[in-house]
Amino acid sequence: MIEISQNQNLITELVAIKVINLIKRFGSLVAVNDVSFEINQGEIVGILGPNGAGKTTTIRLLTGVFQLENNAKIEIFGDDITHNPTKYKKNFGIVPEISNAFSDYSVWQNLMFSGGIYGISKDEIEKRSKKLLTQFNLIDKMYFKTKTLSKGLKQRLNLCLALLHDPPILILDEPTSGLDPISVNLMRNRILKLKEEGKTILITTHDMREAQNMCDRILIMNKGKIIADESPDTLREQFKSTSTILFKIDGVISSEQERILSKIVKLVKDKNGYYVFSSTNALRDISNLFQTSKENDIKISDLKIKETSLEEVFIHLIKDDLTSEEGMAK
Amino acid sequence: MIQDSLTRIWLLSKKNITLYIKKGPVLIFGLMFPFFMTLSWVIGRKISLNLVFIGIIAMTSFFTATAISPVVLPIETREKSLERILSSPISLNEILIGIILASTLYSLFITSIITIIFVLIFSVGFNSLITIFLMFFGIGLMSILGSLLGLLVAANPTDMTSDVMIIMNLIKFPLLFISGIFVPLQMMPFNLVFISFLSPITFLTDLLRFCVEGNNFFLVQFDILMLIFWIISLSIVNYILHKKTMPKRLSETASKKKMMMKKNMR
Repeated sequence: MIEISQNQNLITELVAIKVINLIKRFGSLVAVNDVSFEINQGEIVGILGPNGAGKTTTIRLLTGVFQLENNAKIEIFGDDITHNPTKYKKNFGIVPEISNAFSDYSVWQNLMFSGGIYGISKDEIEKRSKKLLTQFNLIDKMYFKTKTLSKGLKQRLNLCLALLHDPPILILDEPTSGLDPISVNLMRNRILKLKEEGKTILITTHDMREAQNMCDRILIMNKGKIIADESPDTLREQFKSTSTILFKIDGVISSEQERILSKIVKLVKDKNGYYVFSSTNALRDISNLFQTSKENDIKISDLKIKETSLEEVFIHLIKDDLTSEEGMAK
Repeated sequence: MIQDSLTRIWLLSKKNITLYIKKGPVLIFGLMFPFFMTLSWVIGRKISLNLVFIGIIAMTSFFTATAISPVVLPIETREKSLERILSSPISLNEILIGIILASTLYSLFITSIITIIFVLIFSVGFNSLITIFLMFFGIGLMSILGSLLGLLVAANPTDMTSDVMIIMNLIKFPLLFISGIFVPLQMMPFNLVFISFLSPITFLTDLLRFCVEGNNFFLVQFDILMLIFWIISLSIVNYILHKKTMPKRLSETASKKKMMMKKNMR
């Protein structure tokens, strides 16, 4: 029993991707600046960052589309692929932000082409393609030209193409961007199922909720650098000191009562009728609020404490990064 | 290993033929141009059938070969499918050979149809079976050569086919006019014969003259050697240039995007 659990630990701790000193310059612009990270097998890691942070360039470097510069090194399952990326490309299944399937090929032709490139036999491609098309509800569109498909259907096709050769690592570049809620849901469920199947998944996204719900770990990138590498919970924990408190008051309060409340907290009323304020010491402020309302006959009917969302953490980090840079410049 | 590589090359060229054969620039510059060039050359002039045949075959093989190869990379850069290919286990050589093979097969197919038409309808004859073989060998070499020339022009990392086709036509027409199609080398002044060495079509035209009329200017072996020399030279230059510019096809757009964002942030 002990042996099994030890083996399981070894399996889960196997490093699927190891990236060291990744750099990419476009002329004078440094798009990716000395980026290093590791992703364990079976992990879902999200790369978050504003536009132009270097997320897609990092992926292109990782997948061998761009050549590595200087002393950059990439290891896939312990093998150094720096000098022979072509051989190791079979390890990746890539879903791009914008569909890059051949637009004049049908769904089926795209799958046949892709399977052939990865060296899968014709019978096997047909078998796997039909299975994937059924799973992704694309079977009735298999003879449609890709250019006639909606964005959501194209993205499903991209996921089918990425999974066709059964790669151990999936790289998803903003896979849900611009999709309708049904397609987003379908995509998210599929990604989580793929994690259960043991795939290692690297995902870039703008969607904080997506990152928060799906990722085991989050890398936040800004200006080509990784400025945070933590689990979503740890990231939120770091910024938990600031909470948002919402409360509702029964009936109408007088201007005098409002003046008294304003002395304790800075009040803003939201569109749902809740009074909202930020607090760095939620316990103290709530206790003061109850004390004051009791003394002044104000009836609080509802009170909520909002946890710091990943979105707020993200904005915080990016803002901090900008502020520190401005400070250094000054 | 080699079989896998050959399979990938075949899949790429099959894809190139299927997807790009019906594209506007391929139809215009590959089929319509040689047709109308021949018409404007022949109509109103007393030119022997053999010379017309030699001219039309030389023009068709060259024009059709230079039709597909320049458009594949710009279109795939624009449609992002190039990124799919680059992130697949395909080497640069396989991508380039896939394009050359597609272009060569297209050229061979169209030129063969025209040859058959001329032989069957206009009864163009050949001296011997060896000359027929030589003619197709020469056409084959020109098809590869034309494909390489088209591919060379496409080394410019643009996503606009018009950019590539303008440069292609700037190169194509002078090469055609100094090649001895319209004015036989025997009738050209010495200086022009010297300049005609710069055009690979010269050697195909001369080889075709040997096959059809038997009165060539250079030695047949020299014509073949020169065509092979052009093929080797263009292959080397193509590999060097594409190796350099292929990553730029994606980074150009990426850097443009980043520069725009930088500008917006200011």
